Amino acid sequence: MALKALDIYKLLPKKNCKECGDPTCLTFAMKLAGGKADVDLCPYLDDQAKSILGATTRPPIRLVRVGVGERFFKVGEETVLYRHEKTFYHPPGIVFRVSDAQTSDEIAAVTRRVRDETFTRVGTDLRFNGIAIENTSGSAEIFAKTVAAVEQQQAHLPPVLIAKDPAALSAALVHCGSYRPLLHAATGENYREMCALAKKHGCPLVIRAATMDGLIQLVKDCTAGGVQDLMLDPAPENLGAFISRSTQIRQLAITRSVPELGYPVYLDASLTGLQDAAMVLGIVKYASVIVTSPLMPGPAKASLTLRQNIYTDPQKPIQMNPGLYRVGNPGKDAPVLMTVNFSLTFFTLQGYLESSRVPCFMLIVDTEGLSVLTAVAAGKLSETLVRDSLKKFGVESEVTHRKLIIPGYASPLSGRIEEATGWKVLVGPRDAAEIGEFLHEEWKNQG
Amino acid sequence: MVADAQFGWSGSIGEVTLGATKTEGGTRRISYRIGGGTTLPFMEKETSSPSPLIAFEVCDYPLPWSPIVRNYCGDLVNDLAAWTKTADTTYQADLIRLHLNSTRQRDFSDIPAVGKTVETVLSASSLPLIIEGSNEPKIDSEVFQRCGESGQGERLLLGTAEASRYRSIAAAALAYNHSLIAQSPIDVNLAKQLNILLKEIGVPRDHIIIDPYTGALGYGFEYSYSAMERIRFAALKGDPDLAMPIICSAADSLNIKEVREADPAMQDAIAVSWEFYTGTAAAAAGAEIICVRHPKTIGMLRQAFASMKTRSGPAGVQ
Ligand code: B12
Ligand code: SF4
Repeated sequence: MALKALDIYKLLPKKNCKECGDPTCLTFAMKLAGGKADVDLCPYLDDQAKSILGATTRPPIRLVRVGVGERFFKVGEETVLYRHEKTFYHPPGIVFRVSDAQTSDEIAAVTRRVRDETFTRVGTDLRFNGIAIENTSGSAEIFAKTVAAVEQQQAHLPPVLIAKDPAALSAALVHCGSYRPLLHAATGENYREMCALAKKHGCPLVIRAATMDGLIQLVKDCTAGGVQDLMLDPAPENLGAFISRSTQIRQLAITRSVPELGYPVYLDASLTGLQDAAMVLGIVKYASVIVTSPLMPGPAKASLTLRQNIYTDPQKPIQMNPGLYRVGNPGKDAPVLMTVNFSLTFFTLQGYLESSRVPCFMLIVDTEGLSVLTAVAAGKLSETLVRDSLKKFGVESEVTHRKLIIPGYASPLSGRIEEATGWKVLVGPRDAAEIGEFLHEEWKNQG
Repeated sequence: MVADAQFGWSGSIGEVTLGATKTEGGTRRISYRIGGGTTLPFMEKETSSPSPLIAFEVCDYPLPWSPIVRNYCGDLVNDLAAWTKTADTTYQADLIRLHLNSTRQRDFSDIPAVGKTVETVLSASSLPLIIEGSNEPKIDSEVFQRCGESGQGERLLLGTAEASRYRSIAAAALAYNHSLIAQSPIDVNLAKQLNILLKEIGVPRDHIIIDPYTGALGYGFEYSYSAMERIRFAALKGDPDLAMPIICSAADSLNIKEVREADPAMQDAIAVSWEFYTGTAAAAAGAEIICVRHPKTIGMLRQAFASMKTRSGPAGVQ
């Protein structure tokens, strides 16, 4: 069972020396109790305290870092089975697979794609996370060469090295050992050599076994061998096997029933024969690293979007600060468009306004992050809110006219807004895609 | 050592039957019993519940339909019988979902035509049928009545009941022994409330399918996903008012910016991806019927569900 902060505090050295990164032993104890810190951060703990604390205070799923530099990512430290119970914290790294049997041009193209491709949604840049290089050639030398070539291009993209033969990994690690690549995979046969490599280079290591018992045994062996940063590959032979094993691992880990399973899950979506479905299930069912063949444009954006959706915090819709925003360089006669502070709404409308090339003002009112229709349905968008926002953000001194364009879905409010504000209300289209046409025709005619 | 996740569920998902074969008093070549799940989706040791069903959506007035689907299906969309038949034999759907879009036109009053349309679809395909009726309180009663009557004996699934309008559809379902879809806006408590309202006027639990409303991927899907998980979770914990199968329609996916504005050469593939990603994630969250509009999504979903349903020995330990 988890210990309370005060019980933990009693076991700490009470030096308040700050070396753990916390100002006092007590604040460190509070973090430990919340599963937000690792006991190892305090250098002065005696062994007995360590063993008591280690078992109960470390996060139920270990945080593991992959890669170094700007593009490194970390996974793990999840605490729930359902996102609505709290939230999911660390989105899975999506890693594109190449093989050392491909031509160097092919490999370079994939590498550049992962390095450069971004998809911007709701003001956030969504990207793929790394490159997995597989040793299919069977030659350690070719593998090492391929890894070296990728490393030259990729500006520290987190690498995943996939090889059955420890000798091949060893040769490749000469070129990227200090970049914290993820090594795949330790099995019952090779874990000693794999552990030695992971330990030597300080890399995270995936262990692979198709049963819970197999995984548990390997975790015991590898941690005893001095490797703490592990990931679990449950080697699913079909999608049903993935869902059930991954869910079991998550459940047994977060309840601390089987602490040995408290590591992030690794999924190779390209091995299931149904890569798109495996992508989806990896994202929604607890995978932390997903290896895939380079995705086509459809699945590429769909998977980044699904990942963004599932990993948004369900307790707070993504919000914009309310206020007056400018598109282009609006003058005193530029149109003013009112909308809500749900970020998806904001960015959607802003995108269409920018492409309309009509400089204008966006008046963002505080609907607590609700979309237009939702805010209208919930009564969060009202004439008083609009009136107060016009005042608060000084709109009257920005423009000389008194005309406000409101979203089509807010049309039931148009009369009341006119009365409350004294501004003339123009009801815009429902779909923001039509805003350009509206501004070019209706607004011009108004002017 | 035995490592097996213990959830300790006490409830299970109720079963609903869709369609009626000759021996069951209808004319369908197959009927489906859906629901029956006893744990999280796709986690069963023995399969106590069937694979999710895939419904293909057609309509009797295609103008408001996605241009992507209209392009792909071509002239078929103007010939409801042929479209329905193709959905059955070529696209290989499990179910047909007919949208009576015509009833949503202004001042619609041709009720007899509704009956004819339903008959056309019933004779074009012998798959079980879902019907989406009117969206206008003034004609609801007549439209649903006519649908119910024309499909008498066929155990249709009628849609859509909402908290503000459920009496007409419930009356038609009760009179002709059909089931109905109960839709609420992405909220587990509202879903429960509506089911209680339906219970109070006599709709049996095994005649209700929950539609928690599906926001498109990127446009509210995370809320829908969690609503589905919560409904399933509540049902497994023993709440009988939420223990019904779930239907999910990812129709909005075809209207989102990323799909609408896609490069024309790739547009079909992109539309299918977004529909497929939404449908697969919804199935993982607990949906038992997935509705799609793009024919090419059907085969992909079927393959995925087959693999998701496969058990390969105990994942735990020997
Ligand atoms: C996700 C969602 C939710 C989420 C909230 C997400 C959020 N941050 O708002 C949750 C689950 C919390 C939710 C709750 C509710 N919801 Co809701 N929800 C949706 C859903 C699926 C998507 C909303 C969305 O994200 N849209 C995308 C954004 C970008 O759309 P938008 O803000 O409207 O912006 C567009 C246009 O309005 C336009 N636009 C925007 N600004 C401007 C400005 C100008 C000047 C112009 C011209 C145009 C323009 O451009 C945008 C793109 O086209 C919709 C269904 C749907 N398809 O819309 C239902 C929906 C809006 N919800 C609905 C309801 C009823 C509710 C609840 C009241 C239910 C309840 N009783 O609990 C609650 C209310 C909220 C509360 N009390 O907390 C109903 C509304 C019914 C109605 N017609 O009034 C809908 C339509 C679902 C339905 N069919 O029943 N909801
Ligand atoms: S490092 Fe240890 S002794 Fe120093 S403040 Fe932190 S907990 Fe206290």
